[in-house]
Amino acid sequence: MKRRFLGAGFWLLGLAAAGWGQSFTQRGFLETDFIGYPQTAPNDSGQAIGEALFRYEAFDKLNADWQFAGGIDARADTHEQTDRAWELSWDDRQTRRPSFEVRQLNATYAKKKLTLVLGKQFIRWGKADILNPTDRFAPQDYLSVVDSDFLAVTAVRATYGGQSNTIDLVWEPLFTPSRIPLLDQRWSNVPPGIALTQLPSSYPGGSQIGARWNHIGKVAEYSLSFYDGHNTLPLFNFQEPQASTVDIARYYPQMRMYGADAAIPLHGITLKTEAAYFTSTTRTEDEYALYVVQLERQAGEWFFIGGYAGQVVTEHRSLFDFAPDRGLTSAFLGRAGYTIDTNRGVALETAVRQNGKGEWAKLEYSEAFGAHWRATAAFTLIRGDESDFLGQYRRNSHAMLALRYSF
Amino acid sequence: MNRQVVCLALAILPLAAAEDARQIVEESQRRGRADSQRYEGSLEVVSANNKVSKKRWESDRLGAYGNSKAIIRFTEPAEVKGVALLVVNHPDRSSDQWMWTPAIGRDRRIAQQDRSTRFFGTDFSFEDLEERDVNQFDYSLQGEEPIDSAACWRIESKPRQGKSSQYTSSRVWIRKDNYVPVQYENYVKDKLVRRLVEKDIQNVQGIWTARLLEMTDLGRKSRTILKLENVRYNVPMKDDDFTVQALRRQM
Repeated sequence: MKRRFLGAGFWLLGLAAAGWGQSFTQRGFLETDFIGYPQTAPNDSGQAIGEALFRYEAFDKLNADWQFAGGIDARADTHEQTDRAWELSWDDRQTRRPSFEVRQLNATYAKKKLTLVLGKQFIRWGKADILNPTDRFAPQDYLSVVDSDFLAVTAVRATYGGQSNTIDLVWEPLFTPSRIPLLDQRWSNVPPGIALTQLPSSYPGGSQIGARWNHIGKVAEYSLSFYDGHNTLPLFNFQEPQASTVDIARYYPQMRMYGADAAIPLHGITLKTEAAYFTSTTRTEDEYALYVVQLERQAGEWFFIGGYAGQVVTEHRSLFDFAPDRGLTSAFLGRAGYTIDTNRGVALETAVRQNGKGEWAKLEYSEAFGAHWRATAAFTLIRGDESDFLGQYRRNSHAMLALRYSF
Repeated sequence: MNRQVVCLALAILPLAAAEDARQIVEESQRRGRADSQRYEGSLEVVSANNKVSKKRWESDRLGAYGNSKAIIRFTEPAEVKGVALLVVNHPDRSSDQWMWTPAIGRDRRIAQQDRSTRFFGTDFSFEDLEERDVNQFDYSLQGEEPIDSAACWRIESKPRQGKSSQYTSSRVWIRKDNYVPVQYENYVKDKLVRRLVEKDIQNVQGIWTARLLEMTDLGRKSRTILKLENVRYNVPMKDDDFTVQALRRQM
């Protein structure tokens, strides 16, 4: 069934490309990255990683009402973060990145004030920049925790409204989890001497649903959102069948979210805020609120974003989790960038924990060559205490060189 | 007969003299009015050290001065393909602008105070991409001065109280023969910061249209040359295609 659906989707795109559509566009890139870690980690002696990603996306507007989008990623790497099996993945449930993945495949119907999107798609909610508590239909690939990337979800999304008010309704029948660090690699931070075995995960059945009302006013924009489904980030069950051997199983707690966000231009600066309260019927999941308050400004060739992310735990119940969204709270967040000229730019991102036990900073320089090539050099510095979410990765500071050819 | 001509001329002369700056600008805008406009833009950004980068965009505009909506969507270079800007102009206040960046799947409202920023590496600022409604400025006729041998009125405009602008004042040269603006100079206090020169003026579907725009950033000493290709007016367009929601579904 799944294969037939995929086949139908690509057949449609192919048909459209053959000239049935009003307009056909495509884009993509081939990127090769080199990542170097100055330090080894207790469970990972690898210090140099090479990665390659080929991404192709095609879009076709069949007529005034219908358009189709499809995209595919093909990957390879030297550190076994990518599956060696040459299989095409739709649901993104593999522990490693799939070698071939349907990045998106969806049909959009737009008529008057209604937009309906069906299929694998990216759904982004919220207005803040570094952390988005309300962004619940946006699982991420956290294999390298601080360099995450969004994953698409299989969903039906209906948006109704004009310029001032829109209602967004989402139904996600197939759960897509976030991808977490591999147990045998440095970002899982497993202590030495413990052999961990990952048991098959238990993925929730049922659907995730969500609704969001967004208002664009003369002065400010704000929205209210609701989500009922499961957290894309897992909790863990541990079992010790033998001494120094631990079996670990992931499961995904039920989650309900009540959220709000706003963007308010003030004199000379824009205030953005986003907050969400999470409850759960899963007895081992916490109930908590996350919030972000940030200020941003663009001036000349500069942009600045600075703010604070906080957390209020109303009921503490979980023992073992992986929660980078919560790990970036109780922290001051910042981002700044400077455009040197039309081809060159530098950017700095940082998060500093309020208690001083964890810091992360990423400095990036990027330069375009001609119409197709771009080179990027970045250095990520992580410091802190082992007990801190950021600090635990203190041996994972790294440098990255990337070369991208876009078409 | 001759007496009649003299009388007519005497009657018109005071009228012409009374034609003030605001009326000239209004007439210029009236003559450029269309239900919609579509063009493909070819851009060359020339830096101070003569490095050239090329870009292309497609532009759709629905409505005319004061109440129009426009979407600019990059088609080249490859790495910015799909990046789009929605500009919603208002007759009584500054425009609203949103930028869509497909690589991160987010739209972002461009705040008023950020409008002096350059638009995606070009020498146009975000504010330069909004239309200047005649009611949001005060105008004064500064005199007459030819541009490329064509007689022009030189008019100064200053934003009215309540109109937010990076520019303290602007000067525009409007040709007397066809009311086409051919040059703008934008000032911050008394310093000239940007100059826009409009050339290659052709009659497209009855509307005199500048097909080549050259914006110079005098501070950076860089310039952007925008060539308008395949210009068409009164193309059927839908109001629903000029919303933030529609911006997100741009390909």
